[in-house]
Amino acid sequence: MSKGKRNAEAEELDLVPIMNLVTILIPFLLMASSFVTLAAIDSTLPAIGPPAEPSDEEPEETLNLSIAITDEGYTIMGSDAVLKSEGPDGEKGPTLPCKRSGCDTPDSYDTKGLTEMLTEIKDRWDDEENVILVPESHISYETLILTMDAAREDPSKTETGDDGQSRKKLLFPNVVIAGGAQ
Amino acid sequence: MPKKKSRRGGAEGALSITSMMDMMTIILVFLLKSYQTENVSVAASDDLQIPISTAEKSPKLAVNVVVSRKDIVVDGEFVIDLEQTVDDNGAQTIEVPDDEKRGQLIAKLYDLMLAKAETAKDLGAKAGEDFEFKGEVLLQVDKRMPFSVVREVMFTAGQAQFGNFRFVVIKGSG
Repeated sequence: MSKGKRNAEAEELDLVPIMNLVTILIPFLLMASSFVTLAAIDSTLPAIGPPAEPSDEEPEETLNLSIAITDEGYTIMGSDAVLKSEGPDGEKGPTLPCKRSGCDTPDSYDTKGLTEMLTEIKDRWDDEENVILVPESHISYETLILTMDAAREDPSKTETGDDGQSRKKLLFPNVVIAGGAQ
Repeated sequence: MPKKKSRRGGAEGALSITSMMDMMTIILVFLLKSYQTENVSVAASDDLQIPISTAEKSPKLAVNVVVSRKDIVVDGEFVIDLEQTVDDNGAQTIEVPDDEKRGQLIAKLYDLMLAKAETAKDLGAKAGEDFEFKGEVLLQVDKRMPFSVVREVMFTAGQAQFGNFRFVVIKGSG
């Protein structure tokens, strides 16, 4: 400014064409920019087919981790055991009852507790990556997604991935959705 | 500013564009940074609220099945209307109308998806081995949808040879 004042003959920069350009660019970019980023969760159908041929070999011990989502909470099951509840209902209730009775909203499910419990299971079954979700018919889709999130990774712990970068500890990223209770 | 006025003779005030330019430049840079093209588009509305998830994988292009509270749409093509019912306790639920179903199968959806699978297979066969049909389907489902509807859609897609599901979610801290 002070320079221009001293030299009054100096032309001021004509900004109007740039302004024109910018005013056209801004609406265009506003339209094209997306402020929400999308992601995808992969899942496959449970394989349907004839049962495997019985073989003489000792069957490999598998975990077959399943999580049933009911209107009382989560029930965690392994291949031959159901994790018993620590809640007030004792052995009859779900493994992780809802934080509020009735489970009327998706966030009343104890996803944190589920993540903690799955972390414990993951520590013992290090190679296992599959989890089967068994939701009841009226469970909302949002609850399903929240459960998948809780089962996928433990945000409080980190590990080093294959690419050498640290990431959240993966628990059971391969989700299979079973038909569920009618 | 008074300096400028005095230079031009007082009465005639020139519009100062400089400050506006500053603002525009900042907006421009911000928009350029947030500019990104996504190959999957979601037309969010009251009837289609996509749930938020901590998932990180980016969605790939595939057959797009949109299940909103009103209807089911596949690749922009309307398939069936959904029925909103109120049960005895006053809770609202959504169902696939019984006359659209054969058992668990949603008949119209099955026909359409089977046709899509056949087209994809034909195209894949012509294009060579690299374009094998993988049966991928993108599912955009409203977050309040009961699992029974999701299950019927998944079952139908599975019967029509689409067995790899991708649930589209909004990336967020969860």
